[in-house]
Amino acid sequence: MNPPLQTTRSARAQDLTTLLARAVVGGLYVYMGLSKALYPVDFLKLLRQYNLFESALWLNIIAASLPWFEVFCGLLLLFGVAVRGTALVSLATLVPFTIVVWKRALVLQAASQIPFCAVRFDCGCGTGEVNICFKLLENSVLMLLSAWLLLTPRFRACLWPEPLTKL
Amino acid sequence: MKNTGFHLTSAQPERRLVNVFIEAFIVGAVGFAIAMVANSLSPRGLSLTRNYFPPAPTQVASATNNAGVVASPPLLATNASHENKLAERLAARGLRLIEFAGVRQLYQDPRREQELIVFVDARNEQSYLEGHIPAAYHFDHYYPDKYLPEVFPACQQAEIVVVYCIGGDCEDSEFASAYLVDAGIPAARLNVFAGGFEAWKTNGMPVEIGPRDSGELQQRQQ
Repeated sequence: MNPPLQTTRSARAQDLTTLLARAVVGGLYVYMGLSKALYPVDFLKLLRQYNLFESALWLNIIAASLPWFEVFCGLLLLFGVAVRGTALVSLATLVPFTIVVWKRALVLQAASQIPFCAVRFDCGCGTGEVNICFKLLENSVLMLLSAWLLLTPRFRACLWPEPLTKL
Repeated sequence: MKNTGFHLTSAQPERRLVNVFIEAFIVGAVGFAIAMVANSLSPRGLSLTRNYFPPAPTQVASATNNAGVVASPPLLATNASHENKLAERLAARGLRLIEFAGVRQLYQDPRREQELIVFVDARNEQSYLEGHIPAAYHFDHYYPDKYLPEVFPACQQAEIVVVYCIGGDCEDSEFASAYLVDAGIPAARLNVFAGGFEAWKTNGMPVEIGPRDSGELQQRQQ
């Protein structure tokens, strides 16, 4: 049974937070996805620097699909369709990406002998060259907001508030 | 206010958790399919089957699986060690490294006017339009269909081809040269200008703006 609807101040604050989380995460995904999708070669080159894939096919598939996938997820969050599932996908992608970016920063730090937070590089995230500590903080905020969207009890201002499994 | 009746902490949490996973799977599958279609429709889309970074023969030999292996990018190499490694990779491909002095000599050679010496810019379109070596052909090897019809005949009739990109860690001149070799240009003709466009500019050489042979030269900065 679902909890009763509440119109208290705390419920309104919760709704506002949810709406804000959707706008921030969704908006960022659309922006970062489009900035990569418009220049896929640049993204391909940056992705290659991580040395994650030995196979050219896998490198190409990830570089070709990830930017548009981000745009898709961002639009789902903004319009309020399959929000919980999208939030789970967001978490599932943010966690490994953050680890990979962090490990790359450690390699760069070791190679250049500078403090960790002084490391700046283009992580291929769609925002150009960034400070690593700022990037890790940004990703942590995105993960927290995604977790909020995953666990929050209700959504408002959604195009399709029902779960997709009810289709 | 709309209650979705879907939150994880209410009754039947296991069922609801499964529903979230199913929804995430649907989002992932549909998103991936849409992304693949968008990539194939985009004029800048990537070819999935092409190896954009073919390793030099020595790198291939050291790899366990040769098919489709991606060459590793350099990491923060010093200029000297970077150039040595580049020279080794180029030699493995049958290509030559050329320094600025040699490039300047070729630029001033009268054979350039007859297109027996040809310059090829391997950077992206925006960089090329912002400034390139005068009369250099543009060849962004990531989109060969667009540029090859013009650059290939020029390289075929030339005696010497100089390929450059931005310089430093940029590898586009190397991969563009490798592509030209695969397309049928003899490797012995191809020279990779390691210093690239940065070295060209910092040495105060003329820079042409806009399309090839626009004749519009950039004013030298005092």
